[in-house]
Amino acid sequence: MTTVPPEAAPSRRSLPFGLSASRIELQEYTLALVVVLLVIVGAVLEPDDFLNSDNMLNVLRQASVVGVLAIGMTFVIATGGIDLSVGSMVAAAAVAGGQVADSGSLAFLLGAIGMGVLLGGVNAGMIAYGRVVPFIATLAMFTMARGIALWLSDKTPVSIFQLEAVRWFGNGEVIGVPSAIIVFVAVTIVAWVLLNRTRYGRHVVAVGGNREAARIAGVKVQRIVFSVYVLSGICVAIAAILVSGRLASASPVIGNLYELDAIAAVVIGGTALSGGRATIVGTFLGVLTFALIFNLLTLMDLPTEIQQITKGVIILAAVLIQRRER
Amino acid sequence: MSVATAVAPVLEVRGIAKQYPGVRALDGVDFDVRPGEVHCLLGPNGAGKSTLIKCVSGAVALSEGEILVDGEPLPVGEPSASLQRGVATIYQELDLVEDLTVAQSVFLGHEIYRRGLLDRARMRRETVALLERLDHPGISPDAYVRNLRPAQQQIVSIARALSQRVRLLIMDEPSAILDDNEIDTLFGVVRRLTEDGVGVIYISHRLDEIPRIGDRVTVLSDGHTVASGIPADTPPSRLVELMVGRKVEQMFPERPTATGDVVLEVRGLRRGREVRDASFEVRAGEVIGLGGLVGAGRTELLRLIYGLDHPTAGEVLVEGRRLPAGRPAAAIAAGLGFAPEDRKSQGLLLDWSLAKNVTLADLGRFRRRALLRPRAERLAATEQLRQLNTVPDDADRIARQLSGGNQQKVVLARWLLRHCRVLLLDEPTRGVDVGAKAEIYRVITDLAAAGLGVVVVSSELAELAGLCTRVLVMREGRIVAEVDGAAATELNLLHHAVSDTDPAPVQEETP
Repeated sequence: MTTVPPEAAPSRRSLPFGLSASRIELQEYTLALVVVLLVIVGAVLEPDDFLNSDNMLNVLRQASVVGVLAIGMTFVIATGGIDLSVGSMVAAAAVAGGQVADSGSLAFLLGAIGMGVLLGGVNAGMIAYGRVVPFIATLAMFTMARGIALWLSDKTPVSIFQLEAVRWFGNGEVIGVPSAIIVFVAVTIVAWVLLNRTRYGRHVVAVGGNREAARIAGVKVQRIVFSVYVLSGICVAIAAILVSGRLASASPVIGNLYELDAIAAVVIGGTALSGGRATIVGTFLGVLTFALIFNLLTLMDLPTEIQQITKGVIILAAVLIQRRER
Repeated sequence: MSVATAVAPVLEVRGIAKQYPGVRALDGVDFDVRPGEVHCLLGPNGAGKSTLIKCVSGAVALSEGEILVDGEPLPVGEPSASLQRGVATIYQELDLVEDLTVAQSVFLGHEIYRRGLLDRARMRRETVALLERLDHPGISPDAYVRNLRPAQQQIVSIARALSQRVRLLIMDEPSAILDDNEIDTLFGVVRRLTEDGVGVIYISHRLDEIPRIGDRVTVLSDGHTVASGIPADTPPSRLVELMVGRKVEQMFPERPTATGDVVLEVRGLRRGREVRDASFEVRAGEVIGLGGLVGAGRTELLRLIYGLDHPTAGEVLVEGRRLPAGRPAAAIAAGLGFAPEDRKSQGLLLDWSLAKNVTLADLGRFRRRALLRPRAERLAATEQLRQLNTVPDDADRIARQLSGGNQQKVVLARWLLRHCRVLLLDEPTRGVDVGAKAEIYRVITDLAAAGLGVVVVSSELAELAGLCTRVLVMREGRIVAEVDGAAATELNLLHHAVSDTDPAPVQEETP
């Protein structure tokens, strides 16, 4: 007999102070540390402007639009997919709301959500049942959704100043906290529960981890793949409501390159682009990291081109660090 | 075929061992290959044949011992060094790029240049010459590999090996993908090579081929050489005895028998040429074997039953209820469970904890108001893992870290948790060492005794003969024979698997 007890390496790494962490938790702690460091660095470099509640709330409010998109994107990427169309879809959803703005705030909200779900559903159908590669399907939607936005709106923004309920999402606040931040945090919490504590979330990650093994274990793979693009569409609608409320208008030119910011936040958060490993907390912290860095660079009066270069460097650095940990 | 014994061997393998985490795949292997000799390598699945050839070709670094080519030690684990010394390998899964032409494939990686540019004319000429030498002038050097039949692709692989200096050619089950005529042609090619002084290692499961093509035989079992360099005309029954060893009888628990009603009924299931009109029944308490050669349609049949592929005709009934075609989730709901052949790529999520792997098919029971309860999951998974003697049984462990046999138990634990009625097991002991094999056999019989119906696909016919209530033998997509477990032997199963017209190899049973 040649049975030898397997070399049993622990799945949890031990940390100082008797703590232990799984891979994903470790990544989340690291990123949280980065966020804290950024706040400290900011407080030192810009003592007057950075670390005050006005600026902090402003940073978070600005981050919430891309943040909501990044949360939806986390589910898509968890299945091994990608959604390049969310930026354009934000414009299409906003314009769809603007088309029915005369009928009031509720109509606007339903219009935006309807368009988000519809376009997300087209992505979903193409990818799950038409077997189109996610990159291609959503690239097509990237250009179509922008076209739909420009066409429906006749290339002009519609003022929705009269829709106070919608404007509340962009400008309102609850006990001093901007409502956009509350929406972002609420979406994050719901998404965390969905991904980590429900059968649905487990199935989503299983599909990304090993599609065939998931299918053999009884996961309805196509249905799961379909659902994540619809979910992304719903997040698009929420983002569209936040932007339109802020601008008090439904504009067909908003949302440019939002998809890339969302993907970047998901990736530096630690969700694997190949699927099978996803973290909502990581995405949330990834969004914060980017937002804080940009705020800091802006306060330091560095030009946008420098900011763009910085963003690229952060993405590369984050991915390289993750590779080393493997 | 005469072999000059005085000539120095091309290859000498001395006491090599290979330790994987959890398994000692090779443990003291010795043999040698002389120039111009065909040396057959024989052994049950998991005996260490592939590990051995991977050591020789440099794909795997050996743990102990040494390998000499033409008397010189071979550097450990350097594929390029092995190639340079003239060791070429034709793998069972042909490793050609389908989108290249024949000439491009032959010279892939060692292209000929002239003044800095590819010398395509010369590579074409040399390819034609090689194919002629291999007696296959019919293959065009400009044909695309994807358009060639598997047998022709194999010839291209051999031509590729010959395009460099080759002293030793390793062929891993080359006949598995060939029909009888193509095998004759292949043997002609091999003989041509040996006339040029090339040494050949020939791996095969077909015992009847060995006296036809081989000069000597080395038999591996559980990583040991149980016979090294014995004559190729050793009677097949003796070879089987060597391969299987004496321990086999004790490896199998008491043979299970039917204890209840029919739980699985397969009626006229068909899919193209892969599976043709398969019909059979499984009763509660039975372990039914599905035997046959690679490509006979056994895995395909299991996949159809489980709904992973769509049948073109036929139906499956579980406890009398008809399953909708092509829907694994419905099959699971009806009480089926499936442990696929490739645990790593199909059975498990390797980066997940054991708990999550075990509960994946039955998450519904861990929900309270739609939310999962991880602690309950872990407890339930641990209980199943303990019952199967999984090592380790710590449900937080990552699946990747377990040995093959224990990974198999994780897959089984999933279906135990689910209380399934019928288990479909595809090669449940592949890549598992002997100790773990015996345990898996015990688990299978225990499950049957508990009232499950079990269907086991295996390429190890001896395993089916030792384990099953009944064995169905498949050939070319059809179920061609049903043998009662007690009457089944490796040889009579093999006979049905290979042909029904030539009973010759069966005659030589030991008295």
